[in-house]
Amino acid sequence: MKHQEYKELLEVAALDALDAAEGIALEAHLAECATCPAEADAWREVAAALALPMTPVKPSAAVRERLLEAVRTQSPPVHAVAAPDAQTNGEGVAAQTSNVVSLDSRRERRGVIISKPLLTFGSIAASVAIAALAVTLALLWSQNKALKTQLAQMSDSLRQTEQEIGSLRADRELLAAPDARAVALAGTKDATKAQARLTFDQRTGRAILVAANLPPAPAGKAYQLWFIAGGKPLPGGLFRPDATGHAELHDTVPTAGRNANTFAVTLEPQGGVPAPTGSMYLLSAAS
Amino acid sequence: MSEEPQTSDTELLHAIARGDELALAALYDRYSSILLGLILRILHNRPEAEDVLQEMFLQVWRRAADFDEARGRGFTWLVTLARSRAIDRLRAVASRERAATAAMHESHGDVSDASDDVLRSEQAEIVRRALDGIPEEQRRALVLAYYEGLTQSEIAERLKQPLGTVKTRMRSGMIKLRELLGEQMRSVRIGS
Repeated sequence: MKHQEYKELLEVAALDALDAAEGIALEAHLAECATCPAEADAWREVAAALALPMTPVKPSAAVRERLLEAVRTQSPPVHAVAAPDAQTNGEGVAAQTSNVVSLDSRRERRGVIISKPLLTFGSIAASVAIAALAVTLALLWSQNKALKTQLAQMSDSLRQTEQEIGSLRADRELLAAPDARAVALAGTKDATKAQARLTFDQRTGRAILVAANLPPAPAGKAYQLWFIAGGKPLPGGLFRPDATGHAELHDTVPTAGRNANTFAVTLEPQGGVPAPTGSMYLLSAAS
Repeated sequence: MSEEPQTSDTELLHAIARGDELALAALYDRYSSILLGLILRILHNRPEAEDVLQEMFLQVWRRAADFDEARGRGFTWLVTLARSRAIDRLRAVASRERAATAAMHESHGDVSDASDDVLRSEQAEIVRRALDGIPEEQRRALVLAYYEGLTQSEIAERLKQPLGTVKTRMRSGMIKLRELLGEQMRSVRIGS
C-alpha cells in the first residue's frame, strides 16, 4: 500500500474499526511514517468528542471509595503483597527454631521443679501427667511444624501465582496500551506462512513478540530477534517455537533499539550471537 | 463556566504519575460522570459499567506516566482508555451471554439515542449539533463503531451494505464531524 492509502485508514482507525489485517498493516506504517502518527493522534481527538454527548451518570459513592482504597493498598502493587510472604518464607525457619528452643527450655524448667516432688508419694501420677503433657506438646509442635511447612508452600505458590498474574497483567496492559508500538512481521521465502507481531513500549522497552507458523528450530538452534536501527542490527531475545509453530518472547528492547524501524528474526546457534549469521525467517513489513 | 481556575488535566496526570492520590481523586471527580455515561452507553449495564470505570481509573493510576501531552489532550487519553476497556468488557460479556446481549443490542441498537441523550453543557451541545449535521447513514456507521465497538466489516454485515460503501461512509462521517466541530474543537477542550 502507498502512503496515501494508509492515510485514508486513519479516520476509521481512530474509531478502532479497522479490520485486523488493515489495522496491522497501518500499525507497521505508523511505525515508519513521519507524518501519519501526528495525524492519527489528531483523528483520535476528533473521535474522543463522541464521548461528550452522553448523559453524564454519577457513579455510586462506593466506586470512588473502592478505587481510593485500592490505590492506597496497591501503591507499589508487587511489593505490598510480597513483603509478608518474604517474612513467612525467609524468616519462617528461624521463627520455628526459636519456638522449639522456648518449648524445650520450658520443659527443662518443669524438670527442675519436678525433681523434688518425685521423691514424695503420689508424685508418679504427677510425672505421668507431665509426661503426657510433654507428649501432647510434642505432637502439637510437630503438627504446628507441618502446618507451617504447608503454609510456607502455599504462600510460595501464591507468590508464584501473583507473579504470573502480575506479568500477565503487564502483558495485557502493554498489548492494550493506546500508545504501545505494534509492528507486524511477515515470513520470508524460508517461511512463507510464518507471521508475528511485536508490541513494545518505547518508554520502558518492554516488548512481546508473538509468532505463528514458524518451522521447528533444529537441535542446537534457536530463533533470535533483531532490532535494526540506523542499519545496525541490535541483538534481541532467543526463543524456540512449540510443536505448532507458535512462540512467545518477552524481551526488553535496548535503549538504542527503541527507535528501530525494522525488526527481523533469524535462526542462530542456541546461545545467540551478537550479530546475525543465519537465515532470516521473519521481517517487519515494508511500507 | 467561570469557576476559579483549576489544575489542568495534564498537571493532574503528571501528579498522578508521581503517586499523588489526591490528584487521582480530583481527576476522578472531574470526569467520572462523563466517563460513566460513555461506558454505560457501551455496556447498558450499570454494575458492569461501574466496575469498568473503577478498573479504568486504577489503570490511570498505574499508567499515568505513559500519558504524553504532546500527542493529545488528557481527556482524549482518558476517553480512549475508558472506551477500550468498555469494549473489551462488552466482548467478554458477549461471549459469555451471546444471546442475551444480542437481544439487548437490538433494543438499544437504535442510532438516534446518540443525539437524544442530551447533556446540557455547551461542549456536549456542540458535539450533538455536529452529529446532527452528519448525514444519517454516515452517523449510523460512526455510532456502530464508536459505541458498539463493531469493525467496518461487522458494520457492513449489520447494515447489509457493501464493505466499500461502509468504508466511504465512515471516512466521510469523520471528515464531516471534524469540519463541523471545526473552530469549536478548542472550546470542546475540557478542563485545560
